[in-house]
Amino acid sequence: MSDLEAEFARKAALDRVRRNWMDRFIDGIELLAAAFIAIVALDIFVSVLLRYFFNVSIPDSYDFGKLLLGILIFWGIAATSYRGTHITVDLVWAAAGPRSKRAIDVFATLVLLFVVSVQTAMLFDKVRLTRADNVLTFDLRLPTWPFALVAWLGDVSAVLLIAVRTWRLIFRPDSLQSDAIEAVE
Amino acid sequence: MEFSPDAVAIIGFVVLFLLMLLRVPVGMAMGLVGVSGFGCLVGGAPALKMLGQTSMRIVTDYTFGVIPMFLLMGAFVSRSGMSGELFRAANTFVGHRRGGLGIATIAACAGFAAISGSSVATAATFSTVAYPEMRRFAYPQSFATGVIAAGGTLGAMFPPSIVLAVYGLITQQDIGKLFMAGVLPGLLAVSMYMATIAVIGAARPGFLPTAPRASWAERLHGAREIWAPLALFVFVIGGLYGGLFTPTEAGGVGAGGAFLLSVARRRLSRADTLAALLQATRTAAAVFTVLIGAILFGYFLAVTQTPQRVTEFITGLGLGRYGVLAVLMLMYLALGCLMDAMAMIILTVPIIFPVVTALGFDPVWFGVIIVMTVELGLIHPPVGMNVFVIKTVVKDVSFATIFVGVLPFVATDIIRLVALILFPAIATWLPGRM
Repeated sequence: MSDLEAEFARKAALDRVRRNWMDRFIDGIELLAAAFIAIVALDIFVSVLLRYFFNVSIPDSYDFGKLLLGILIFWGIAATSYRGTHITVDLVWAAAGPRSKRAIDVFATLVLLFVVSVQTAMLFDKVRLTRADNVLTFDLRLPTWPFALVAWLGDVSAVLLIAVRTWRLIFRPDSLQSDAIEAVE
Repeated sequence: MEFSPDAVAIIGFVVLFLLMLLRVPVGMAMGLVGVSGFGCLVGGAPALKMLGQTSMRIVTDYTFGVIPMFLLMGAFVSRSGMSGELFRAANTFVGHRRGGLGIATIAACAGFAAISGSSVATAATFSTVAYPEMRRFAYPQSFATGVIAAGGTLGAMFPPSIVLAVYGLITQQDIGKLFMAGVLPGLLAVSMYMATIAVIGAARPGFLPTAPRASWAERLHGAREIWAPLALFVFVIGGLYGGLFTPTEAGGVGAGGAFLLSVARRRLSRADTLAALLQATRTAAAVFTVLIGAILFGYFLAVTQTPQRVTEFITGLGLGRYGVLAVLMLMYLALGCLMDAMAMIILTVPIIFPVVTALGFDPVWFGVIIVMTVELGLIHPPVGMNVFVIKTVVKDVSFATIFVGVLPFVATDIIRLVALILFPAIATWLPGRM
């Protein structure tokens, strides 16, 4: 193997490691979001069953349900933003050539990055206020700010993932996984 | 330099459409324009505060939990192969008739729609389930794809319709009543689609083939296979109708029930479960992004008084109630060429809903009408989302061929819309009994 070939092989191996590490991180975030939707469904399912069959209610089931819903959505937004499965109008994009398509994608992702970054900054303010106001759950009187904080961390990961997506769109477009259209209505 | 609210509103709409055409996610574009416009008129600090507070309020609203829960139920149902069971069962009863596989597809789409709540999911699923079977019996490509495109639209009519749920959340209408309002129009759609196939079969006898007649043993076997989706539908929607569950609880019970039934029948592997959870999470996040954007955009509309001005303008045209309704429906058909059903509803309903209520239309009835219209937009030429989805799955068919197959069903849909306008009780009778 020549020096040049060895250098290419070393770079390719390094790329694979980097890609695998980043993809595992992204997969981890998605798994976390998926776990939250399962927990919300379980919370609702079990609380309804207990109410009708045993006349028992889970303390704070309602509060936990809505707080976990918030966590699920923000972590889900992180995954959705990275995969590019938001609801979009594709009329111009579909008619554009490959270079224009890439330019449109980069522009759209930069706008997305800007909006989510501002949202994340403002959400931190909301988390801080929730803690300062000592907002508690109804039954168990637990503070709700840790839930808000976990939800906010979802938005932080959304910013990170959108930044990764932007970087990959600009410098390594082939490394982005293409996802099938998902039904939203 | 200060702008008047009217100028800000016009600039806002222009920027919004530009951003959307440049593929900025609809929710993000609405949020950006909403917050910027609000900031321009009221002040930057309150606008930014509104962004944080509104985002958190929407995602922690228990009522909104109806969306991820029904999406999860639909994802479990899709992954567990219930669509194939529905199609095979329907096929054993009607497959031997002329166009029978088309009728079976419509019946199976209706059954699947009643547990998935999504048009695009229904069209995508039956493109893989029913299309190969219809082609095996030499059904024409145009007919096979046209039936699937039309059958897919049933997903938005039968409960739990995700689009109707979103309409209810935006307009603060009772989601349970909206779900019930879609039942009779949905059944009417099924009957009319089947009648359309029968008419095509009678008018062109050589056009539609028949499949071999199934024995009664095969029919009984097929019917036994569909007890699971049927039981799930009756339990969830019956509980909702009977007041046992709130819509969010019905979704949670449905998701839990779909999971347990699928696991008990060994139809859901660990990988399928994970895929269903991921699919529901991504879709729910996409819908919530649009909802957050819509609410933020709604504040902008409120400070610019756009809905009031649009109401004054439209009601002042002297077109009469039904003239205005016709204009709105034409607008939705045209918008159907630009965006999908969810985006259309979320973007336009906050603006036109005051017009509708000012004209004295029933909000629940209007919900059904608007969903039927945007669903028509999913299949009518030149652009239809269901047609694109079918084309994605079925590679060897052209858009023109699919649109030719869809045309008889578009005509049927228009007749159904007129029937619903002439007889609103088709939509309002059932929710009125709750």
